[in-house]
Amino acid sequence: MRATYLWILQLITGALIAILLGIHLALMHLDDTLGAGGEATGWTAMINRAGDGLFAALYIALLAVGLYHGINGLRGIVLETSPSPRTERIINWTSLVLGIIVFAGAAYVPVALLVS
Amino acid sequence: MKQIQPRQNYLGASGWVWAGKFKIERYLYTLHRITGLGLLLFVIIHLVMTTVFRIQGQDVWESIMVLLHNPWFKVGEYLVVVAFSYHALNGLRLMLQELGFIMGKPTPPIYPWKDALRKKRPVIVVMLVVIAILCALFLVDFFIGGW
Repeated sequence: MRATYLWILQLITGALIAILLGIHLALMHLDDTLGAGGEATGWTAMINRAGDGLFAALYIALLAVGLYHGINGLRGIVLETSPSPRTERIINWTSLVLGIIVFAGAAYVPVALLVS
Repeated sequence: MKQIQPRQNYLGASGWVWAGKFKIERYLYTLHRITGLGLLLFVIIHLVMTTVFRIQGQDVWESIMVLLHNPWFKVGEYLVVVAFSYHALNGLRLMLQELGFIMGKPTPPIYPWKDALRKKRPVIVVMLVVIAILCALFLVDFFIGGW
C-alpha cells in the first residue's frame, strides 16, 4: 500500500514539476524570445528575484517536488536490482535522509536572502 | 525425457540500448530513464552552483557565471533543456496512459485487430512533434541570447 501512495506522489510531483520547471525554464531560457530583456543569471536580476517572496515560494516548492521526484525515481531504479529486505530498508532511509539534507541545505539560501 | 527450456527473452543489461523484439515504446522508456538520471545529476550540480557560490557574494557569483557562459557549458545547458522537454512530455504521456485517458474505447477482438500499443502510436507521434517544437524554440532563444 505504501508503494502505491509513493507512486501516486511520483505522478503528482511529476505534473507539478512540469508546471514549475516550465516557468523556471521559460524565465531562464526563453527570456530573449519573450522579450523580457536583461541577463537572467546576472547578480542584480538574481538578487531582485531573491527579494520577491513569490519567487522564493516558487523555488522552494520546485526544490521540494523536484527532489522527491528525482530521489524517489532513483530509488525505484536501484530497487529494480531486487535487494534483500534489509538492503531495501537501508536504501529507503538513505534516500529519505539524503532528500532532507539536500532540501535543508538548498532551501536555506533563498530564505536567508529573502530575510536579509 | 526432453526438457523444455523456457524461451530466453531476458535482455539483461544490453536491454538498456537494444530493445530486442520490442518497438519504439521500449526506446522511449530507455530514453526516459537516461534523461531522468541526467536531470537528477544536473539538479545536484545546479544546487551546488546556486547555493555554495551564491552565498559567497557578487564577485564569486560573477566569476562562476563567466565560466558557465563558455560555449561548451551552453551546449550542456541546451541538452538539459532538451532532456527536460522529453522527460516532461513523455512523462505526461505515461501518466495519461496509466490513468486510462488515452486508451480509447475497448473493441471486440475481431480480425484484423489492433493491439493497444498500435492504437496509441499517434499519441507518440504528436508527443514527438511537440518535443521537437519545444526544442526548436529553446534553440532559437539560445542563439538570440548568444552562445
